[in-house]
Amino acid sequence: MRARFDHIMSAGTAPNSGAQALLRRAIVPILVGIFALLPAVLGGKFLVFQATQACIYMIVAMGLNVVAGYTGQTSLAQGALVAIGAYSSALLMIRLQMPFWMAAPLAMVLTSAVGALVALPALRLSTWYFALISLSFTSVVGELIIEWRSLTGGFTGISGIPRPTAFGNVFTDRDLYLLALAVVIATFLVLQNFVNSRLGRAMVAVRDNPLAATSSGVSLLSVKMFAFVVSAALAGLGGAFYAVQKTVISVDDFGTDFSIFFLLIMVVGGAGRLWGPIVGTLVFFLVPEVLGALQSWRLLVYGVVLLMLMLFAPEGVVGGVERLFKRWRVSDRFRGTLPADEVQVSVVGARLQVAGVDKRFGGVKALDGVNLTAPSGSTYAIVGPNGSGKTTLLNAICGLISPNAGTVHLDDVPLRGKQPHQVARSGVGRTFQTPKLLGEMSVLDNVLLGSYASEKASVLEIGLQLRRARREEALFHARAMHYLKFVGLAERANEIAGEIPHGQQRLLEIARALVSQPRLLLLDEPAAGLSLSELDRLGALIRDINTHGTTVVIVEHHLELVGEISDAVTVLDRGRVLTTGTPAEVFSHPEVLDAYMGQSAQVPK
Amino acid sequence: MFFDILITALPAGCVYALVAASFNILYRPTNVFNFAQGDLVMLGAMLFVTLRATGWMLWPLALLASVAAVGLLAVAIERIAVAPILRRSTHSHGWIITTLAASMIIANASGKVWGSDPLPVAAPLGLSTEPTLIGGLLIPSYQVALVMFTLLLVTAAELLYQTRTGRAVLGVAENRDAALLRGINPATLSIGSFFLGGALAGLTGYLASPILFASTSLGGALLLKGFAAAALGGLGSIRGSLAAGLLIGLTESTSSTFLPAGYQNAVILAVVLTVLLVRPQGISGNIHARTV
Repeated sequence: MRARFDHIMSAGTAPNSGAQALLRRAIVPILVGIFALLPAVLGGKFLVFQATQACIYMIVAMGLNVVAGYTGQTSLAQGALVAIGAYSSALLMIRLQMPFWMAAPLAMVLTSAVGALVALPALRLSTWYFALISLSFTSVVGELIIEWRSLTGGFTGISGIPRPTAFGNVFTDRDLYLLALAVVIATFLVLQNFVNSRLGRAMVAVRDNPLAATSSGVSLLSVKMFAFVVSAALAGLGGAFYAVQKTVISVDDFGTDFSIFFLLIMVVGGAGRLWGPIVGTLVFFLVPEVLGALQSWRLLVYGVVLLMLMLFAPEGVVGGVERLFKRWRVSDRFRGTLPADEVQVSVVGARLQVAGVDKRFGGVKALDGVNLTAPSGSTYAIVGPNGSGKTTLLNAICGLISPNAGTVHLDDVPLRGKQPHQVARSGVGRTFQTPKLLGEMSVLDNVLLGSYASEKASVLEIGLQLRRARREEALFHARAMHYLKFVGLAERANEIAGEIPHGQQRLLEIARALVSQPRLLLLDEPAAGLSLSELDRLGALIRDINTHGTTVVIVEHHLELVGEISDAVTVLDRGRVLTTGTPAEVFSHPEVLDAYMGQSAQVPK
Repeated sequence: MFFDILITALPAGCVYALVAASFNILYRPTNVFNFAQGDLVMLGAMLFVTLRATGWMLWPLALLASVAAVGLLAVAIERIAVAPILRRSTHSHGWIITTLAASMIIANASGKVWGSDPLPVAAPLGLSTEPTLIGGLLIPSYQVALVMFTLLLVTAAELLYQTRTGRAVLGVAENRDAALLRGINPATLSIGSFFLGGALAGLTGYLASPILFASTSLGGALLLKGFAAAALGGLGSIRGSLAAGLLIGLTESTSSTFLPAGYQNAVILAVVLTVLLVRPQGISGNIHARTV
């Protein structure tokens, strides 16, 4: 993500500098906006018309970028959604004599509602279902526009759409351009706030690593739905502008090609980049001559360009520029001040009780009547040979798989039947055998993802950066920095998570799990692949976590570590509990020694 | 009237089922849903017509050649548009956009080559698409043959999946590393699946052309209806595809009997959305059970 400079400036500082950060974020878009006033000043009618159209495309493409670029749900419905926005606002203005200022917001609401209705079943499934359903939706909307002649004018379309008026004056072309430009800037700023908030981190997590998302308390469906509704609302708004600019609309304006056109704009500019849709649209308006000459070959050219870009430059123009800049950047090291230990870290650990849990995969019993109780505030280890069901047990606890029988309780709250993000929100943090990180985001952003469910600022507060959103941002930056310091990674806060060494990635994942201050922490083989010094650090770290109250359940092969840190150990074998006891008891248990570790195993005294 | 609906619904449904089956063949080992599949179906029909028009090819030869050519084109799509994306990241869904781009390229290039006029294709083997008296009923013989052939093909595919090799192939979709250990090369398998899926698409195009005509605009509609059948039937289940394909054929014919033509796809979309809302895995699917 692009917010690195902001973090450097604002991490761990007071909220009022959040306002400064806000100003800094706004300054570039506003400067660009002033530059964009030129067409209005210089005057040519054609130029103003084209510039307005560019603004409208930018609004729609920015919406698409939210759902397809950031959240990774390729939508081919954008053209149809623009059509719904254009037709509904035109009809509201013509039939009901509604002013543009009322018709446009209503069109946004209607577009979002229709879109959401179609998207809901699809968003629960794989992303390509959504792509195909949105494609079907686009062709259905086109057919219905033709069918509903009395309303839409069929093939002829709707003409005589009035221009917006203000104080009795009808908007000129130039006024309309200024309005569209203002909307583009406002949209950009709000989206920038979204992207740099927990919403943006959740969207990227949904796209790049759904497991990281759910285990951090992010509901995949809600985030996808949010992103889609934002994109639909912006398409509806773009449609309203489209209608008043052209004053004549017809079904031919909004085919499948139109949807693909927006996809192309996004990919050209750079998917999942804030400036992508802006740059992508400009590219299209700066090379109109080429496309004009190739008019009848247009779609073929689109197809070839789309394919080539995806293969050779998937990061688009903006991504390419970013990469150039990165080469020149002196250092990514964190240059801010480290926070003092002011964060309240004591929590009351929860008791974990697993009773009679069965899990079958086909004919294989992966878990067979597993019972264990990890007392509040304890460190509890689960060991056993590969394939004995340790990870399956963790997955059953945190809701990634649903057991065939048995119960799981956190204190007295039943966890079985809850979805992973709900389990996470009940106070369960976890790490994975291979760290599930957002490889392209900063270390700090990865930790901040963990605080997703702890942040309470609403979408509106985040979008407009109201007081609570700014305060929370500062608070959770500070808290994230605290936990980075806690695991010893504070120095690396601004580095890219995917580029730090493997052992540190594990520590980073632990920091992410800790930032929500869980009452139960599940660690899945945290020692795997660590160096000796890192191992020492891990042992001390787990003891530290435990001291602050959190119950720790650890799956681990490294028996020396287990012996050092755990209060109790359960040995699993082929899905069954073989024995449970203190480390000393368990490791001297003859059956354990014979069958699973072999006689020669190094057993800690 | 019900009989009339059935006469149009069953053959059309079979075409959708075959498209869905071709999606499935390709999807199961690769987890890729080819957006250019509808255009491969279209190409199957267009290539056949063109080869026949040269005059020196008998129809079985022309069929074989066009099916093989479409299969090879599918392999080209796999190599150019899919493999590089998955090489970058196995979780990437970038292939949605690249296969969509492939679809645009094929559809528009075909439009340039063949124009947009539908071309008639004669039914083979003395069969006819015109109703003839069979056992006291007025039935078009080609349509009957098409339905029977589809049933045969689906049964054969299901039996193939039951074999050792078939199950090994399906295993790869579950676990690429395990497949590698057993000596199955995922790249080879991916190419093979694209060839088979592409070839079936090409064959479907030929089979559909006597009733739907050969036209360069076939692709888009068949992509969406084939997807509807695959999603409804449950991904991974070819039997489910058949049932869903027929269901979509029936829905389509029924809705066009009672509603204006413009509502046809809206009704199908509504059916698909409703089923997916209640049963996300489709009528008989089981693919979406896994999360980790």
